[in-house]
Amino acid sequence: MDFLVSSFAAALRLIGSFSPDVLDAVRTSLLVSAGATVFAALFGVPVGLAVGLTDSRLSGFAVTALNTLMAVPTVVVGLLVYGFLSRQGPLGGLGLLFTPTAIVIGGTLLASPIVANYTLASVRGADSRILPTALTLGAGPFRAAATLVGEIRFGVFAAVIAGFGRVVAEVGVAMMLGGNIRGYTRTMTTAIALETSKGEFSFGMALGIVLMTVALIVNLFLSLLQRR
Amino acid sequence: MTERYRLLSITKRYGSNVAVDIDSLTLAAGRLYTLTGANGAGKSTLLGILAFLTPPTTGEIFYAGERIDWKSDIVRRRRRKVTLLHQSPYLFDGTVFRNVAYGLKARGIAGEATLRAVDRALETVGLEGFRDRDARKLSGGEAQRVAMARALALDPEVLLLDEPLANIDRETAVLLETVIASLPSRGTTVVMTSHDPDHPARLNGGAIVLEGGKVAHADL
Repeated sequence: MDFLVSSFAAALRLIGSFSPDVLDAVRTSLLVSAGATVFAALFGVPVGLAVGLTDSRLSGFAVTALNTLMAVPTVVVGLLVYGFLSRQGPLGGLGLLFTPTAIVIGGTLLASPIVANYTLASVRGADSRILPTALTLGAGPFRAAATLVGEIRFGVFAAVIAGFGRVVAEVGVAMMLGGNIRGYTRTMTTAIALETSKGEFSFGMALGIVLMTVALIVNLFLSLLQRR
Repeated sequence: MTERYRLLSITKRYGSNVAVDIDSLTLAAGRLYTLTGANGAGKSTLLGILAFLTPPTTGEIFYAGERIDWKSDIVRRRRRKVTLLHQSPYLFDGTVFRNVAYGLKARGIAGEATLRAVDRALETVGLEGFRDRDARKLSGGEAQRVAMARALALDPEVLLLDEPLANIDRETAVLLETVIASLPSRGTTVVMTSHDPDHPARLNGGAIVLEGGKVAHADL
């Protein structure tokens, strides 16, 4: 128990002293997660909207596909993207492997199905009168869809935040595609994994506390939005 | 009589259920029609078809002599001439102004013209000074009047009303009835569903009775 208490105290001291290694990992984590979330939103929101507004056999298949993609382990996504970005891969010439960009690509693939699925749930749960009202007032299909997104904006925000939560907390993609390079691609989760394996438990705990705080803030924000 | 709608062999099916089955029906421009029938008689489905929101399963619709091709841009163009007011209207999040101006913006009308049209429509339904009010904080009667103003601001050729006088207070009902009765003189065709058997006579309009999706009686 003393070990945990002393590690916790050391972790707090590390955070309080603004350790450059801690700050680097936090900064990298937040940047790549934010980048991946933006791209996931750009892809996932329209997909969720399109599937939610379509009532066909194809949309049923799309829902199944999205649910399946949500459950794909992060290391599988990491493996797939690694195959494309590695030197022998089709995109190897771009030299993206072990860069923050590679983590953003992997994170985008991870978060997109979540954003799409949550958006889809918001669309399906939306008031059924929104679209007919917009259409009968003369809106075209795009304006009507934009109106729908505006009316369910809290659900869409929640979808995007859930996507961020998925990316910031994952370790497989960041480790496989980022390579855990100190000060460059080392994220909070990969640093925790590395430092703990090296016996630097207090360092790992310091990052764990920051990560938990970020997750707490994200979830508080999410529940606030879901109450709207 | 200038023809507004002509419906030929129109059916609308939901699975095995036939919601609407009309052999022939012609509606004139600048005339008010009351559509009556029991619940499930097909009144709301027919309004959806007339509003170009619900494509029929079979049959043809002509609007002002033009055959409606549901897969072409004609539908969208014609939809802009027709406005449907739902029984329980949906007001968009935001102000009364945003709601009433919505259709005008969709038509590319902006600035002073929008302000004038919104104010005029709100005045017609007795809601002067409501422009900046939160639409979601209105009473049921006020919301119904805002929805009516939103439709009137567009000056549509056809106004379709799904039980507009149900679930509102007497004072609002009298006001809306007066507004509705005045529309045909401006050239607007009005089709209004109702459960009140006195409406056709009181509003000096035609009457269509639906039974099981079919026209059981029509006094056009």
